[in-house]
Amino acid sequence: MASMMQPQIILLKEGTDTSQGKAQLLSNINACTAVGDVVRTTLGPRGMDKLIHDHKGSVTISHDGATIMKLLDIVHPAAKILVDIAKSQDSEVGDGTTTVVLLAAEFLKEAKPFIEDGVHAQNLIRSYRTACTLAIEKVKALAVSIEGKSVEEKKGLLAKCAATTLSSKLIGGEKEFFATMVVDAVMAIGNDDRLNLIGIKKVPGGNMRDSFLVDGVAFKKTFSYAGFEQQPKKFLSPKILLLNIELELKSEKENAEIRLSDPSQYQSIVDAEWNIIYDKLDKCVESGAKVVLSRLAIGDLATQYFADRDIFCAGRVAEEDLNRVAAAAGGTVQTSVNNIIDEVLGTCEIFEEKQVGGERFNIFSGCPSGRTATIVLRGGADQFIEEAERSLHDAIMIVRRAVKNSTVVPGGGAIDMEISKYLRQHSRTIAGKSQLFINSYAKALEVIPRQLCDNAGFDATDVLNKLRQKHAMQSGEGASYGVDINTGGIADSFANFVWEPAVVKINAINAATEAACLILSVDETVKNPKSESAQGDAAGAMGRGRGGGRGRGMRRR
Amino acid sequence: MVGMSMQPYGIQSMLKEGYRHLSGLDEAVIKNIEACKELSTITRTSLGPNGMNKMVINHLDKLFVTSDAGTIVNELEIQHPAAKLLVLAAKAQQEEIGDGANLVISFAGELLQNAEELIRMGLHPSEIISGYTKAINKTVEILEQLVESGSQTMDVRNKDEVISRMRAAVASKQFGQEEIICSLVADACIQVCPKNPTNFNVDNVRVAKLLGGGLHNSCIVRGMVMKSDAVGSIKRMEKAKVAVFAGGVDTNATETKGTVLIHSAEQLENYAKTEEAKVEELIKAVAESGAKVIVSGGSIGEMALHFCERYKIMVLKISSKFELRRFCRTAGAVAHLKLSRPSPDDLGYVDSISVEEIGGVTVTIARNEEGGNSISTVVLRGSTDSILDDLERAVDDGVNTYKAMCRDSRIVPGAAATEIELAQRLKEYANAEIGLDKYAISKYAESFEFVPKTLADNSGLNAMEIIAALYTGHGSGNAKLGIDLEEGACKDVSETKVWDLFATKLFALKYASDAACTVLRVDQIIMAKPAGGPRRDAAAAAGAGAEED
Repeated sequence: MASMMQPQIILLKEGTDTSQGKAQLLSNINACTAVGDVVRTTLGPRGMDKLIHDHKGSVTISHDGATIMKLLDIVHPAAKILVDIAKSQDSEVGDGTTTVVLLAAEFLKEAKPFIEDGVHAQNLIRSYRTACTLAIEKVKALAVSIEGKSVEEKKGLLAKCAATTLSSKLIGGEKEFFATMVVDAVMAIGNDDRLNLIGIKKVPGGNMRDSFLVDGVAFKKTFSYAGFEQQPKKFLSPKILLLNIELELKSEKENAEIRLSDPSQYQSIVDAEWNIIYDKLDKCVESGAKVVLSRLAIGDLATQYFADRDIFCAGRVAEEDLNRVAAAAGGTVQTSVNNIIDEVLGTCEIFEEKQVGGERFNIFSGCPSGRTATIVLRGGADQFIEEAERSLHDAIMIVRRAVKNSTVVPGGGAIDMEISKYLRQHSRTIAGKSQLFINSYAKALEVIPRQLCDNAGFDATDVLNKLRQKHAMQSGEGASYGVDINTGGIADSFANFVWEPAVVKINAINAATEAACLILSVDETVKNPKSESAQGDAAGAMGRGRGGGRGRGMRRR
Repeated sequence: MVGMSMQPYGIQSMLKEGYRHLSGLDEAVIKNIEACKELSTITRTSLGPNGMNKMVINHLDKLFVTSDAGTIVNELEIQHPAAKLLVLAAKAQQEEIGDGANLVISFAGELLQNAEELIRMGLHPSEIISGYTKAINKTVEILEQLVESGSQTMDVRNKDEVISRMRAAVASKQFGQEEIICSLVADACIQVCPKNPTNFNVDNVRVAKLLGGGLHNSCIVRGMVMKSDAVGSIKRMEKAKVAVFAGGVDTNATETKGTVLIHSAEQLENYAKTEEAKVEELIKAVAESGAKVIVSGGSIGEMALHFCERYKIMVLKISSKFELRRFCRTAGAVAHLKLSRPSPDDLGYVDSISVEEIGGVTVTIARNEEGGNSISTVVLRGSTDSILDDLERAVDDGVNTYKAMCRDSRIVPGAAATEIELAQRLKEYANAEIGLDKYAISKYAESFEFVPKTLADNSGLNAMEIIAALYTGHGSGNAKLGIDLEEGACKDVSETKVWDLFATKLFALKYASDAACTVLRVDQIIMAKPAGGPRRDAAAAAGAGAEED
């Protein structure tokens, strides 16, 4: 504003930050590579965990790429894209989040020298897209279908997938144990798969082996009143009543008031209140239910009343647990005790209360519709269980995807090597610059086995060359060779049951390429000043800003 | 050099302190031109299929990664008054056609740049303006001659014809993915196209963005996709009648604060029961009318939900009024304000409505295969939010192009073929002209060269070679010779099938010339001292608010 002469200087608002050109592109690539370096070391079974201490002071120890990326609080606009793809991978397939970030960073790293040499980014993008399509086709071609197998066989195969995922996690030591559990849980919910039908409950204490799966619902014993201990704690095929009302002596409606002209009526009013609650309780009992659960409180009067009639009750059950019980036992949640018909009552084979560590759990098992499962997770420290829960979540997602798509590919970097080889071969048939770019794409894919070796402390160059040799074999028998994490050599991943669902790889390659192309296609960044800082400038501006907001609200109405 | 001296004199002395006054060729016209040029250099690199993206972070910290000029200039918060004129022209184009905003800005920038040369040569702006005006009139004339014969009429329900006209617009946003997007958009548009195609409503094609997967997972849903879960435990319903209640499904509470006075024990006992009975009666009435699905615009009471479950009615909540209105259109339902027994005519119908999980997001999908011109939704999948946003803009452009082609289906050759032909013919016209206009017209003609130049530059090709080759081809009578960016050579557009809509091109050129002439016409700028805070913030906020709707 100081200069009167040059209005063109303020083409954009003051405080706007612009950068453009090659330097800008390179700085974006550098930022993304830096992010890739952060998660790099967490890849694979021998990957290390990250401890993240956030601004609120809470500590998270995690191995999960998406969790780390989320907690990193990245502000760089280009690097944010990597966070996005990690999230997308997490929501789409649940696992492979580290892979996707690493791949994207590696693609960009490979692109960097070309950009520096003055190659137009669009040429790179086009080649990368072609390479991506080819790679995905190749994955599809290499994938082995597990369709058409018997249920038992299928379960075994799925467990292999789950084990591969879990092997890279904190609970990798018990991977077989958990893999079977996860597969059972996913199979239990059947076709109608909604993630919230699988519950994971955490109980600190004990060890991992004490974890167990309930083919139904389990939740922690809720707060209870006197009389609870007199209630029976085990039923065989009870009827279950699910309520959404308070069974407590309390005013019926907030906006009701009682005015009495005749004091003698006072007692009748008191009686009426008691009648109301007794009436409700009677109806519960009449329904024939043996287990009464409510989302709202069940008071001491009701607890005692139910105890006298050999009925179990629990109040203040968390809504998701209640919904799970409803789904499992086949009942519906009632907001009124009037007119309870048999149809709305659920049932299960066994209901019991069980001691798990320091907690007591209400467990409903053998549910008729069998559409839910609950995993009760045991373990030492809180952080440990948290991480275990995240790992199980990943494994559950993987199994769900495998059930849906039912094709698997060999893991341990084998598929990556194979695609890399395929692309290298393909690139030789192309004339022109594209050959180099597709070659570099192929090289970037090798980062997965390389990083697996690095993280495990092996000589990456040595292992990689062995792998290249195997994959280059004409017969194609070496196609499924990957890094053997146990011996430091190479092994047939397929024979060793290191499997992952094809969809994980496909999505990872797709997302990583999309992100890399997106970052490469940016040649200018314009950052407008934040509106907050503009408002902070002057009180007048602030008032105006607010006025504008209000005006908008009025307009919309 | 008036402003340099601190002593105010001349017009400066008549104005209040803090006012700025700029006049004359050097100070006003040239500076204005420079500002516009600067703006057009920003957008220029985004032109065409190989255009680069811009990363714009707006004042709310939202990240845009796009090559859509309309979005870029919207978020740039341009301050310079002359540059703003260009932005307005681009916005006009965006509203009129929905595509070609970049052409407006870049072409206007190029026109102004060439005007600057003329000014430096000694021409007066008014002479340039008159030349430019003649040139645009001639351009329109020539453009009409260039229209591909046989394209005046088209079947807007023929997918192939639609795609051939839409491809160029979409390809300029998402090169390499235009086949997938075009086919999606064409399907969606054709589905909802009313009997009289000119009445096509852009709002009827919705976009649902779901994170995860890739573009090849995208699909079309005939009906609506809502990012919410059903309220009750019933998640699926087939061939159901739908009752829509805008006001919410709950017992009616008084707006005025009131207290219920209870006088006896009996009343107390019955109080709760009557309420329950009332709700049951209402829901029962709805159920008896045949409705299987209730859609509520407001809150849903627990008691009401309980009875809905009892009567096996699926309950859905749509809190946005706009969404609700669209839902009514999808299902063909009439929204009731209050919970009451709906008349059979007011009930809507959906083939199926179900809660599904796509990529970790729970969505409710309402399908209506038969309904006439209802609503169709393009479900876009992509790995990041910014990719999704950009895909959405490409889809929007496609839909807008469809709207434009419903009105005027004429097409002209794309891939810079039209521009070169225009340049060539205009030059001939200029040579025949006598007087000073001649210079302006031939500069105008030259300005067209920037399109092939930029297209070639953006793709990393040698621009001069391409332009020379194009001129040679056009000189020998091949009016349809354009650039084939994939091969980096010149090719007949009827082979590469790159067609632009006549209307898009016409309006873009018109708006660009108008904006350029307006900028040239200014010879004095008087800027008042800005009062207090940034005034245009509020206006921008209101504008953004209107857009959200």
